[in-house]
Amino acid sequence: MALSLAQVSIMLAGRRLIAPFSLEIGPGETVTLMGPSGAGKSTLLAFIAGDLEAPFTASGHVVLDGTPLDGVAPERRHIGRLFQDDLLFPHLTVAENLAFGMPREPRAERHSKIGAALSEAGLEGFGDRPPHTLSGGQRARVALMRALLAGPQAMLLDEPFNKLDAERRAAMRDFVFRHIAASGIPCLMVTHDRADAPLNGRVLMLKESQVTDA
Amino acid sequence: MARPLRRLNALTGAAPLILLWAVPLLLSLAALLPSLGDGKALARLLAHPQLGSALALSLFTGLAATALALAATLLILAGTGATRVMRIMAAAGVALPHLAFAIGFGFLIMPSGLLARVFVGGETPPGWITVQDPWGLALIVALAIKEVPFLLTAAFGILSRKEAAGLLAQQARAARSLGHGEGSAFLRVLMPQLLAELRWPLLIVFVYGATVVDMALVLGPTQPPTVAVVIWHALNDADPQENQMGLQATLLLTLLLGLAIALLSAGLGALRKPYRTFLTAGPSALAAPRRSARLMSILIGTITLAALLLLLVLSLSQRWPYPALSPVFGAAAWETLAAAPAPLVLSLVLALTTAATATALGLLWFETQNPAHDRWVTGLALLSLALPQLAIAGGQYRVFLGLGLTGSLAGLFLAHLAPVAAYVLIVLQGPYRAFDARYAMVARGLSASPARTFLRVKLPLLKAPVLTAFAIGFAVSIVQFVPAQLIAGGRYSTLPIEAVTLSSGGSRALTAAYALALAVPPLLVFMGTSLLGRPRWR
Repeated sequence: MALSLAQVSIMLAGRRLIAPFSLEIGPGETVTLMGPSGAGKSTLLAFIAGDLEAPFTASGHVVLDGTPLDGVAPERRHIGRLFQDDLLFPHLTVAENLAFGMPREPRAERHSKIGAALSEAGLEGFGDRPPHTLSGGQRARVALMRALLAGPQAMLLDEPFNKLDAERRAAMRDFVFRHIAASGIPCLMVTHDRADAPLNGRVLMLKESQVTDA
Repeated sequence: MARPLRRLNALTGAAPLILLWAVPLLLSLAALLPSLGDGKALARLLAHPQLGSALALSLFTGLAATALALAATLLILAGTGATRVMRIMAAAGVALPHLAFAIGFGFLIMPSGLLARVFVGGETPPGWITVQDPWGLALIVALAIKEVPFLLTAAFGILSRKEAAGLLAQQARAARSLGHGEGSAFLRVLMPQLLAELRWPLLIVFVYGATVVDMALVLGPTQPPTVAVVIWHALNDADPQENQMGLQATLLLTLLLGLAIALLSAGLGALRKPYRTFLTAGPSALAAPRRSARLMSILIGTITLAALLLLLVLSLSQRWPYPALSPVFGAAAWETLAAAPAPLVLSLVLALTTAATATALGLLWFETQNPAHDRWVTGLALLSLALPQLAIAGGQYRVFLGLGLTGSLAGLFLAHLAPVAAYVLIVLQGPYRAFDARYAMVARGLSASPARTFLRVKLPLLKAPVLTAFAIGFAVSIVQFVPAQLIAGGRYSTLPIEAVTLSSGGSRALTAAYALALAVPPLLVFMGTSLLGRPRWR
């Protein structure tokens, strides 16, 4: 499973935000894209996810596992996302949040997968709790497990560690990269902090609209 | 939090609102209590031949109108969202008085109305029972159409508050990244959160629909009428025993509405489990209902506009025999209205003074009180709006009669101020408390006096919500029919009193002219305040 970007460029009101570039991310690989605020990193992720909105426009192609995603709705792309905020749905419990994106399957199977995810996140017994009763780190772990339980074929991470304190940040980084590598899916992470990048991973730089190796 | 007008202490700041609004309101509610023990009036009420069917009809119209309005609102929100055009249309719809719309809608659908002329024709009007039908369908449809803009405006307020943090939009994005289509993301993520916050507006819509008098007199069934109309006739009867029975009926109606709401909540509670199963049933590709939403918005907008235009044409007609598509024009109706301008002038004066007073009272309260105390006034405001207006007006009538305020301008002012202040307080509270207090702190640090800080910094920054609150207060005041008629005691007349009286058989042209005179001022005030409220620094 690989994620490819072919000659992707982003424009903002006639101005080039990102010059055409291509990128291939292999199975289980996490590529980090760094750049200053406002460079267009999150906009690039929105384009890949299929929800780029005006005034931005884009050209180029996104190909996932050999399938071009041109014109495919966000919900049909099978691309999971983590945002700066955990965005757990406040009206659902932790377990219901985890179930939200899971494919329709027998109840017993769903329950066992949710139980396993809770245990993986170190949150056994937290399933019936509302999200607001969890700590920031716990919520972040639930958000990742929710995305993975939906069975994505690629992951996009939009500065997902930004709002965590230093101690939780390191633990969450390990947690996220370990699980993404284990799922064998390609992952693109944008950040402005080099320390967030996984060790030995590729790091790219977006600066003055050019994407280059850092 | 810095309160620049601290010299006005908490007591002097709260006193005007308490004396002019809270005390009369509480006294009015308390005045109903003696009726609880009035066995004779209760027996008379229970013996009323139309009681059972009238009550059932009221509950049916209230529930059906609320359900229809909610369904249409959710459809529009799911399909088009909070676009600028929708916001403007909703605000204009809220500003249009219920009574004016009901009269225009009636002229549209009645057997000799515009629809029959355009689509049926013939020498005589068709035998439709489209107005005052026995099932209250015309009333239900009119109520539903009229309440959609109100529910939309309430939903837009919630959405814009949350979107400030970008939360709901991001949550929808997250739902789509988890495999849910736009429609599914709305149903499973946005709608549950919206509904939780729309419970008060929905309650107000339901109680209003089940207890409305003026619209029911124009469009509602007659044999039997809704219970609000039965109560209305009883309260206006010359026989004091009938009055007592009317008060007893308002209590029974309030009780039944409370019971209906409790039963409804319990019923919804029973649906909780299947509902949560639906929420987490897994991804669905359900798309946003864009076309149906657009159709629904166009339908509601067209009917509303058609009703208004019809009022205009009718008011300028001298004769309009069936099946002619256009009337013989003449300005007699407007000349008649201009020759007796007292109701128009009184309505405008009451609307301006009560809206201005309520806004000033609200500002004074919020500026001098600890925000923790707001819940007392907003709670009372919500309670007064969630109770049938007939109940409050009935109690008010008793109190004002005792104080010699019926048939007086002071009584009319206070009767209008009650609902106006309730709306103004609710509208003003959120924006006022969300004001960034650091602006005032900076101004004080720059040696500005408390009054200067308030007048030159806080008020200009808050002018949009303050003007909106004023406009809503104006619109609420000008449409008051029940308290106006009861407290005026025949000595004064206002626009709604004239319009309702005329709608039951008076000249159609004159009825239309009064309905338009009722509709235009709030629309103008809304337009004016939104122009004035536009920030100059953007």
